[in-house]
Amino acid sequence: MHLTIGLATFWESYTIPPMGIKWFSIIALVFSVELVARPISYTGGSTAMLFSDNMKNSAYLHYSPSYKYSLGIELVKDKHFDEDYALFRYTYLLNRKNTQTSQRNLYFQSGIASDGVDNHFYGIHGDWETRRWFTGFDYKNVSRDNIDYTNKSFQIGVAPYLGDYGDLHTWIMLKTKKNSLQSEWSTYPVLKFFKGNLLFEVGYGKKTQWDAHLMVRF
Amino acid sequence: MKIFTTVLLLVLMTGAYASDKQGSHHAAHNHHSHEGHLHGQVVDGEKLQVDPQRFDNFIDGLSSAQIAIVDVNGMVCDFCARGIEKTFKRDEQVKKIDVDLSKGKVLIAYTDEKTIDFAEIEEKIIANGQNATGLTILKL
Repeated sequence: MHLTIGLATFWESYTIPPMGIKWFSIIALVFSVELVARPISYTGGSTAMLFSDNMKNSAYLHYSPSYKYSLGIELVKDKHFDEDYALFRYTYLLNRKNTQTSQRNLYFQSGIASDGVDNHFYGIHGDWETRRWFTGFDYKNVSRDNIDYTNKSFQIGVAPYLGDYGDLHTWIMLKTKKNSLQSEWSTYPVLKFFKGNLLFEVGYGKKTQWDAHLMVRF
Repeated sequence: MKIFTTVLLLVLMTGAYASDKQGSHHAAHNHHSHEGHLHGQVVDGEKLQVDPQRFDNFIDGLSSAQIAIVDVNGMVCDFCARGIEKTFKRDEQVKKIDVDLSKGKVLIAYTDEKTIDFAEIEEKIIANGQNATGLTILKL
């Protein structure tokens, strides 16, 4: 399958940056994650993810000293620029509203690349969800090799059934995204599953092919 | 653009290390104790608005314990409630913990020696990003 080949190729060809972080790659291979949902863990918690789409393959590990922010490192195989690098990432919870039936979040996200501060990104991520409904958006402004571009996405979803704690939970979602380097919006269905500490999300669109996220919290 | 990004990062990082309070931290809450007088309607969960079967399964095998039933706001998904379980399990006086997503409750079985403090529970729930709004204590 395209996704499997993509990830395998990533790990075979990825050049580990000279930072002694090979251990991270191994951990990230064993555990996996999703990059957008829940970008901050609980206080003292860590999250590991694998991500693959038409722009990049990556492995991301972050730690949350507080529920308000997370610090992490993401190893990226950039498909568009055909480059490998690491991103040092910082995510901050700007706003959260909890009610009895819903939660709303707004995050600031940023990252600086290992090959220079000129290569970085910053943006906003927001979501609102109940046990039945989900809606979210993501916006990133990226500078890479003196080229500035944006990534935008919106996502809505519904849970076809309401599982109890410990059950397998399923979401049926619709995602639309646009990278300004590619000029067209791509809209496609996404399925999200999670059980316990493990989350898996997969989507497919004709224009952008496969999106896949795998995540574990510990 | 670089200056803007740098300044924004510095401002936000400074903010992160500042007050760790959440806006709704001080939400009104109720603290109600049933200590010493368990009765049928409470035990089967009807008055506590806990799923009765879930409650029965939870207390099954617990011979002597204090049960804290915590009302939690923002606990909308299994994945985001996992941290609550992990956080409370670090306390050696916690014998068992469960989450009732449908009712927005966290059930915690403490040893009899534990002095249950709502502020401590509230702090742990906030550390997971949710808000505790009420507490009922039962004694088995």
